[in-house]
Amino acid sequence: MTAACRLILSCLLLLPGATVVIAQEPESPSSAMPAGDPARGRLLFAACRTCHYAEKYIGHNNGPNLHRIFGKVAGKQAGFDYYSEQFKQAEFVWTPEFMYAWLENPQKMFPESLMMSLGVPDPQQRADLIAFLQQASVRSADPEPETQ
Amino acid sequence: MSEKSDIQGLSRRGLLAGLGATAATTLAAGAAAMPSAEVKSWDITTDVLIAGSGAAGISAALEASAAGAKVLVIESLLKPGGSSALSGGVIYAGGGTSLQRSLNIKDSPEAMYNFIVSAGGVHQQEDKIQLYCEQSVDHFDWLFDQGVPYLQKFTKAKGLPMGDESLYFSGNELAWPAREQATPAPRGHVPGVPGMNGGRALMEALLRTAEAQGVRMQVLTSGERLIVESDGRVAGMLVNVNGVRKSIRARRGIVLACGGFIHNREMLQRYAPKLYDCSVPWASAGDLGAGINMGIAVGAEALRMHEGFAIAPIYPPENVISGIVVNASGQRFVSEESYHAVMGNSIAYHQGGKAWLITDNRSSYQFKQDNFLAVAKGNSIGDVANQLGLPKGALQNTVAYYNRYAQNGTDPMFQKSRDFLRPLQGPPYKAWDLSVDQAFFASHTFGGLHTRTSGQVVNSFGENIPGLFAAGRNTAGLPVAPYIASGISVGDCTFFGRQAGKSVAGKGVSA
Repeated sequence: MTAACRLILSCLLLLPGATVVIAQEPESPSSAMPAGDPARGRLLFAACRTCHYAEKYIGHNNGPNLHRIFGKVAGKQAGFDYYSEQFKQAEFVWTPEFMYAWLENPQKMFPESLMMSLGVPDPQQRADLIAFLQQASVRSADPEPETQ
Repeated sequence: MSEKSDIQGLSRRGLLAGLGATAATTLAAGAAAMPSAEVKSWDITTDVLIAGSGAAGISAALEASAAGAKVLVIESLLKPGGSSALSGGVIYAGGGTSLQRSLNIKDSPEAMYNFIVSAGGVHQQEDKIQLYCEQSVDHFDWLFDQGVPYLQKFTKAKGLPMGDESLYFSGNELAWPAREQATPAPRGHVPGVPGMNGGRALMEALLRTAEAQGVRMQVLTSGERLIVESDGRVAGMLVNVNGVRKSIRARRGIVLACGGFIHNREMLQRYAPKLYDCSVPWASAGDLGAGINMGIAVGAEALRMHEGFAIAPIYPPENVISGIVVNASGQRFVSEESYHAVMGNSIAYHQGGKAWLITDNRSSYQFKQDNFLAVAKGNSIGDVANQLGLPKGALQNTVAYYNRYAQNGTDPMFQKSRDFLRPLQGPPYKAWDLSVDQAFFASHTFGGLHTRTSGQVVNSFGENIPGLFAAGRNTAGLPVAPYIASGISVGDCTFFGRQAGKSVAGKGVSA
């Protein structure tokens, strides 16, 4: 385990709530996350769009683009120059579970984060937001035809 | 008084009693003035203290320090820049700015004034509008001199430029009735950077210049209470630095520039219930109303607290503008080409929060988007009306009337421009939900402290509160409901931030 990774895990272990569950059940962290509803998450994610877009063709904004964010190593996207040192040095991979833990109180887990968000303290809302992002972040790179 | 800290003493002597056990996020609601007699010693002393590092705070800092004052800016978050840094960074400027002139665009301060007064809300602070318009040319030059990057490029496209153009029609100038009340001109001045990062470019420039000018910045420091002398003069501020309370003395005065309160949900529900119902709070995390509450606690008057920015951005794409927007009675109520916040204001404040965009095959969204859901689809307008549960025949009447005139290129009711006017015909017809709680409906607050054009804060008796100034969304300024153009808010922040900075430093301002 690298130093950076240990740092992050130690941060996680200090968190109340969701992260306590992570500490207790390292094998299945997803058990801490309620089932999310992407339909409910649509407008919860909308507030994130002050800075982040999930559509690849829009590119980076004040925050990095979130196209195919899950599975990426944090803090490494080409063309985005505004990561904090903490994220530049990070070695973890974004998973829905990790994002769920992070968004409870973003500044608490990563005090140097430059994401100026109050987070989403409500567990169900957080799960809904992530469920939406899981769908929205894997659309094709170009605009898709409207299907409604 | 000595500069040495006595935080322990401070805490024991009523702070905790006064604040109770409230958590930091709700503390502002319980804030009250603190007598300076309770401060045994000041932890920090400066000439000018500015709370908030957005466009208002930094503009104030630049002018106060240019006037020779020692300036300290405090910021509650780690990263300076406030909501301004997350915004489009548009400055509403006109009257013949250097950028307008370089692009051969004609404008006058009178046309700009007429637009703001006639298109905006009723009973505005017209002295502020007048000063803002009269000095807009100089103000834009000042921004340029601070290093804000503008390019000599104009675009006709509606909406914030996605390219690097620096000038566009940022508001409702070309929509009816505004275009008949004031000569339109493009007045949205935006940093020439691609994408929606103009606010970041603006704040990077202002912050860089402030630092070079010797303005000190202390982050992760939140204002909690103003400290007041026995004669009512504001002498300092009690702040919270990582959970530790410190007292800051400001010899010449304080500028509150802490932003609005869209993220303080309890305060929002009390003061601005219509905004509370909008789906998406749109601001940086620091917009918690702390500065407004600190001001109210020392007797400041607060104005237009229920007003704000509420937007339903139906375009781009521009093809949808040839659809029609209807309310729960199946009737049109606004021109579909209106600026997003003009339409949003109508929906949120005047239509009970409910509206739909009705499209035909050509005006439908062609590409996937998450802002508005199709909630009805049919081969006739009647099908769609039934699915929406609109009053019998109402939408059919609306469309028949609209089509009858649109086919001849007129819109008697709302004078929609011919570019966007044609009969609604050709299935499938769809209804897209524009309701405040179902659509992407972004909002932030415009209500705040009553200030004079100098930035001086006024109490409920119409008197100045000595030592207290404010700017930006901490105040009630140029932006009112309806919000009529992008750039009026950040324009107001920068211009009246400068006024407050000059005033607090003791330099006279034109008023």
